[in-house]
Amino acid sequence: MTRGPDRPTQHVLLLLLGVVVLVVAGSDRYLDYVRAGFRPFLLAAGVVAVVLAVAGLLRGRSRGDGHPGPAVGWLLVAPVAVVLVVAPPALGSYTASRQVAPVAVPPGGVTALGPDDPGEDHRTVRLFDYLVASQSAGLEGRRVRLVGFVSPRAAGGWYVTRFVVNCCAADATAVRVAVPDGAADVAPDTWVEVVGVAVPPLTDPAVGYPEPAVDAVTVQVVEAPAETYE
Amino acid sequence: MITDPGEGHIAGQLLEPEVTRPRGGVRSTDVLAGVVALAVALHFLAPGFLDAPVVLAWSTVFIAVCLQAFPFLVLGVALSAAISTLMPPSFFARVLPRRPAVAVPVAGLAGVVLPGCECASVPVAGSLVRRGVAPAAALAFLLAAPAVNPVVLVATAVAFPGQPAMVAARFVASLLVAVLMGWLWTLLGRSDWLRLPAPAHQDPAATRAGAFGEAMRHDLVHAGGFLVVGGATAATLGVLVPRRWLEEVAGSPVLAVLVLALLAVVLAVCSEADAFVAAGLTSFSLTARLVFLVVGPAVDVKLIALQAGTFGRRFAVRFAPLTFLVAVAVASAVGGVLL
Repeated sequence: MTRGPDRPTQHVLLLLLGVVVLVVAGSDRYLDYVRAGFRPFLLAAGVVAVVLAVAGLLRGRSRGDGHPGPAVGWLLVAPVAVVLVVAPPALGSYTASRQVAPVAVPPGGVTALGPDDPGEDHRTVRLFDYLVASQSAGLEGRRVRLVGFVSPRAAGGWYVTRFVVNCCAADATAVRVAVPDGAADVAPDTWVEVVGVAVPPLTDPAVGYPEPAVDAVTVQVVEAPAETYE
Repeated sequence: MITDPGEGHIAGQLLEPEVTRPRGGVRSTDVLAGVVALAVALHFLAPGFLDAPVVLAWSTVFIAVCLQAFPFLVLGVALSAAISTLMPPSFFARVLPRRPAVAVPVAGLAGVVLPGCECASVPVAGSLVRRGVAPAAALAFLLAAPAVNPVVLVATAVAFPGQPAMVAARFVASLLVAVLMGWLWTLLGRSDWLRLPAPAHQDPAATRAGAFGEAMRHDLVHAGGFLVVGGATAATLGVLVPRRWLEEVAGSPVLAVLVLALLAVVLAVCSEADAFVAAGLTSFSLTARLVFLVVGPAVDVKLIALQAGTFGRRFAVRFAPLTFLVAVAVASAVGGVLL
């Protein structure tokens, strides 16, 4: 099959692609793939694709042209099919478990976590900030609140996990905080809110490098946030 | 193709592909219907496959790369369509200096203000040669335009937040490659290697707006297809290839550069989108990723195909390997200095 899609089919492909981009960007689903600020660009590009496709279909109606396009154009159907049939969710524990290198921490990062949340005895922190802060001494005994999903840990308990994303899900890096005494009945990919006491980083023999850890005081199952990436 | 599929029977084709099948082969819409049927069948027959974690992770990364690159692709295609359909053809020949040695850097710099996708810059360069621009200058433009234009540089800045050196390094390295290759052609190039491109097919009845829309549609379908190839490869590398292999390759500076250079050739991601693919290759050094960004727009499988089609095979078999070597060397050197 080397023949490319003919004109009307090209336009149908382009129309499908534009509609799918608009559907994904029109709901919160786009947050599973790209950063929040990217929405206007997705919407604009989707509108352009739809307008181009519709104009092409209308032109083709009056003119008639069976010239086949590039065969590679067929592949436009792939993202459409994946979005509609697979409907991939945000990255989860499977991807997090595949990570083998420690997360690169920028030098001279944050070391202090700041005051407790108003009216609480703990501080809510992003997992990445906790990771950075845990690499300097003086954090032990501090109570923190972490929100993330559960991913399995070989040396017992589980990790509370969150992906850090620079640009899109392709560059996601998993930040994992070990909860060594985490109850075994929490399934992977469950979203939890962990309030715990900071302890020094642990070295999991399965990964071979130090990882931040907390001693959980309370673990509560929560709804996944719309924007799952940090 | 016996029957004319453009006569407004789109709905009929989609509903009854079997009835209208011509003798010459499979119709486009048959394939489309087949793909949709396959997806639906998979959905019902093997629901477990589509829910497997590896399939979900692959799909997420694949869609992420496609979505992130799509707006940049649309913008780049719109600009290149505007240049090829709205600007007078004689413009470039008028503004470029006569002497090739001087025209080469000017043409390279022209790539900065005249953005175009690499798929679009090949036909543009072809028409430049046909209109009397020195081949060396046209080739410098061909290499520079897709790599150093504002759309690509902004995309690179977005993909590498907080690393402006990456944008600067990409600009410097790609421009150097373009100018060096132009000069090399002035010194070594032989005109009989070039098969002068035939005039592009132009519909005489088309209005400017019509031609603009047509160019944009064609480029978007074309470049979009290659973007899908790139997104799928990036997702496969990220999800299916064991991380330890990647880490080991990435751990050796020389191997990392070579692997990413070859990857750029094979992936053939559009230059508007390649920065996002590179940003996803987190285990590789910045220099190796710079090599990926410099080699990709200059030489890749689809460009080689396009160049062979536009300038002839004798040209492509000489130009592409030499460009590859120059691009890898220049990008490694610039990366060593700037990154």
